[in-house]
Amino acid sequence: MTSAASAIADAPARSINVQAAVDKFNALTNAHIASYLDACVHCGQCAQACHFHEVTRDPRRVPAMKLAPITKVYRRHKAPFAGLRRTLGLAPELSRKDLEEWEELIFDSCTMCGRCTVVCPMAIDIASVVALSRQAFVAAGLGPPDLLQAADNARDRGSPLGVTREVLKDRVEWLADEHETEIRLDKPKADVLLLISSIELMKYPRSVVAMAKLLNHAGVDWTLSSRGYESTNFGFLAGKPDVARTLIARITEAAEALGARTVIVPECGHAFGVLRWSGANILGRPLPYEVRHITEFLAQHKRDGRLRFKPIDTSMTYHDPCQISRRGGATADARYLLDGVASDFREMTPTGNYNWCCGGGGGVQALGRAAEVRHEVFRIKMRQVSETGAAMMVSACSNCRLTMDESKAALGWDGELESLVELLAVHLDDTASSAPRPAR
Amino acid sequence: MTAMEFIEGPVWYAASAIFVLGIAWRIAAIFMIGRARDLSVSRRSPIVGAAKAVLLHSVPHGGNLGRTVYHFVTGYLFHIGLFALLLFAAPHVAFINAGIVALPWPAMPHWAFIIAAEAAFAGLILLYVRRLTDPVTRQLSDVDDHVGVWLTFVAMLTGCLALQEAHAGLRMLHMLSVEALMIYFPFSRLTHAFTFLLARVNTGAALGRRGFTP
Amino acid sequence: MVLLAPYAMAQSPPPFPAESYSGPNTAQGGQSSPEMWRDIRRGKSGTVVFPRPEGGVLIQSAGETWRLRHDTTVAYGGGLLLAVLGVAGSYLLVRGRIPIKGGRTGRVIPRFSLVQRIVHWFAAVLFVLLAVTGLLLLFGRYLLPPIIGQHAFALAASASIEAHNLFGPLFIPAVVALCVTFVRGNGYRGVDFTWLLKGGGFFGGHASSLKYNFGEKSWFWWSVVMGLVLSASGMALLLPSVIGDRSVVQLANLAHAIAALLFIAFAIGHIYLGTIGMEGALEGMTRGTVDENWAKEHHDLWWAEHKTSATADIRRAEVAAAERGDRAVWEAQR
Ligand code: SF4
Ligand code: SF4
Repeated sequence: MTSAASAIADAPARSINVQAAVDKFNALTNAHIASYLDACVHCGQCAQACHFHEVTRDPRRVPAMKLAPITKVYRRHKAPFAGLRRTLGLAPELSRKDLEEWEELIFDSCTMCGRCTVVCPMAIDIASVVALSRQAFVAAGLGPPDLLQAADNARDRGSPLGVTREVLKDRVEWLADEHETEIRLDKPKADVLLLISSIELMKYPRSVVAMAKLLNHAGVDWTLSSRGYESTNFGFLAGKPDVARTLIARITEAAEALGARTVIVPECGHAFGVLRWSGANILGRPLPYEVRHITEFLAQHKRDGRLRFKPIDTSMTYHDPCQISRRGGATADARYLLDGVASDFREMTPTGNYNWCCGGGGGVQALGRAAEVRHEVFRIKMRQVSETGAAMMVSACSNCRLTMDESKAALGWDGELESLVELLAVHLDDTASSAPRPAR
Repeated sequence: MTAMEFIEGPVWYAASAIFVLGIAWRIAAIFMIGRARDLSVSRRSPIVGAAKAVLLHSVPHGGNLGRTVYHFVTGYLFHIGLFALLLFAAPHVAFINAGIVALPWPAMPHWAFIIAAEAAFAGLILLYVRRLTDPVTRQLSDVDDHVGVWLTFVAMLTGCLALQEAHAGLRMLHMLSVEALMIYFPFSRLTHAFTFLLARVNTGAALGRRGFTP
Repeated sequence: MVLLAPYAMAQSPPPFPAESYSGPNTAQGGQSSPEMWRDIRRGKSGTVVFPRPEGGVLIQSAGETWRLRHDTTVAYGGGLLLAVLGVAGSYLLVRGRIPIKGGRTGRVIPRFSLVQRIVHWFAAVLFVLLAVTGLLLLFGRYLLPPIIGQHAFALAASASIEAHNLFGPLFIPAVVALCVTFVRGNGYRGVDFTWLLKGGGFFGGHASSLKYNFGEKSWFWWSVVMGLVLSASGMALLLPSVIGDRSVVQLANLAHAIAALLFIAFAIGHIYLGTIGMEGALEGMTRGTVDENWAKEHHDLWWAEHKTSATADIRRAEVAAAERGDRAVWEAQR
């Protein structure tokens, strides 16, 4: 038994509603998910791709294990021949013990990075199954308290890190003064609604300033809105669909009130992934705006000639946030932004769509008890970076950044970590005009 | 009716019916669970993504060859060998031609049979031995995994034992073991032979529309 | 045309002297004589129009000798196998299963890597298939017909020959892989002979040993040599037309049978000790780890080297074993 699992066993008995989990699993198993549960051949190759298995070497942390609880329910209730299996007593019901034993795998040991899907011969998307499974675990009354708390904070106070409207206003005012940058908040109408991530606002506030500076320079009609500003969706990560829906509804209302046609998600991978790919489905209707990640948006403006940058000589490499590259489809944009700017750019191995995860995605960053394994995962990144010999690692996700900064401190790594947007803002070539280049 | 006639007659038809209907139901039942339409705006074509996933996941990609080379090599040894035997072994071709449909291809020569059988056995034994010894696969394996392998092994073995085609008894043994395999098939993980396509297509479409097919 | 070759002998220049001819004037013309027949009977080669290996030999009389030797082999081989079984059986009856004397500690030491275990079991599966079918072919015709009947035996023999010919070639890469993955640590050392002098501790007392003791090392080399003899002779038997020379094939047949019997005889001992004969031995080859007390009792010198890697965290030890076998110590020294 792993230490975390034994910690669970030692904890005082919790009230666990197994039936609620079974019902939730059943409700969430659609034809798409069922095809995965039917296809896994237990070959174990997915272990080769998962950073949690890579660093712990724990056979239980093979990604396919995370399919087990939902598969058990599926085989008893919804699968073809489930009735036959039940009659013959071949399909036991999910047990309380199963839920307890799997909690750590479903919450602490999956960042929903999607690397396992690449090696799986059946192409099973385990990340999406884990996201659903979390809902069932939470319905049963399980789930790591810190993650659940973050979701409740987001619902009750507007943000997982306690950024209420008032805090937002204060911080924005302070940042605008401090950095002499116009940060637009609550303009009545705007083409573009910019979201922030509370990680940025509280821990990396320069990032917000940088976005403001770049958008201003590019001549974008944008604003922040105190009606909907938090981009992260801990409701989704913590398996609380009602919270997830509330958070998306807030953003949508804010955008509708502004008449915004575009919503920009800042440097946060999961925030982008959830809003861009699940937002409409969670809300139950198509989003009345287009969702773009800040790197996509900036790349567009660089392409149009509205943004130019001064060259950077420091050798650098780029860490792909999973939800922006592999699972977001915006792999090329960050590289386009750095193209012609970073004079010494080096790719890691593997890179781009196949890059290793930082270890803190999927809400794992918020789990105190997962800190140690996160640090171990960071060793993979350290090795990747040192192999490139680059002096600086740049990324476009404040969650990755926070994860890596913590691990960096814990392990005493001396590499330099930077935010792409901040770096670009510092190297903005403001001598050039911001007028659009005539179309060619 | 002799035992042989019984095994090649009613039992064979029953096994075939269970096999075909079972698999059809298995696939239909999955579709019948249904799913909601994806409301997000796609970036790329889901159809291209699906096609890509089907092809890509037939080979290691994304720099993972080194990590999965064992399964890649043994998996292909087994599967290619098995399908060559299934479709091109002389007795099979004769059996299909006589009873089911005239195949438009000739049977393979004896030496090719031997090579195919050797590849299939080597692949199957190597895969199974790994299943039993690797802590990861041992953790994942359940009864179905073992039963599936053993039934396949016995069916292949009895087939090769009957190769001289001199003894009706051996042929009967092969028929029986194949029928057992066919009856077990639709209820087991062996259906991955068909469902792999569903999983690959679903992932390819769902993630391909996001812009990258993993 | 080839079919005509034997007849062609009659028309070719006389290979045998004709003077001593005294028989009737038959189709052989003046060339039939007791000497000629004697020579033919002894396998003397004549001249043929279309020379092929052995094309000039009318009667390959070494077959007689081969048959005799073959029967001897069967008799002695059967005796050998029975003897080995008897020894193992009586040891089990008299002294029982060799226990872990100190009991299990619950702490394990990684011993065999995943690669080694996969190679071992791949070879083992093939060995069993080949041994069973081979023994059936060798002894079956004497033992089985009275029991299961002529017909059933014919069926079993037909099945066996097919399986034996099919799995045989796979055994060749298996032997090579065994040799490569297990050769480390199997060289003989001085301590092995002390072990031998002490009777391996089988009759009381303690015999020191490294990772492999004298018996295990001998089993390794025995397997390699027998495996190679079986591989070479087996290929000759599988493809006689490539060899051409009948006497070589006869030799190969005898070598194959003798090597197989010697191999199987030792294997009975190996399998006995690896399973029912000794507590705690099998898991080294299944899970890759062995109990610390087992290591101490049977491979004390190896244990002394590796006791630092002993751990009660069995899952972790199994993972370490899968990846590195017992190389942890060795790697730590680098
Ligand atoms: S999605 Fe990532 S973290 Fe989750 S199981 Fe797959 S590889 Fe591991
Ligand atoms: S790689 Fe895919 S098929 Fe193999 S065990 Fe993992 S999830 Fe199952």
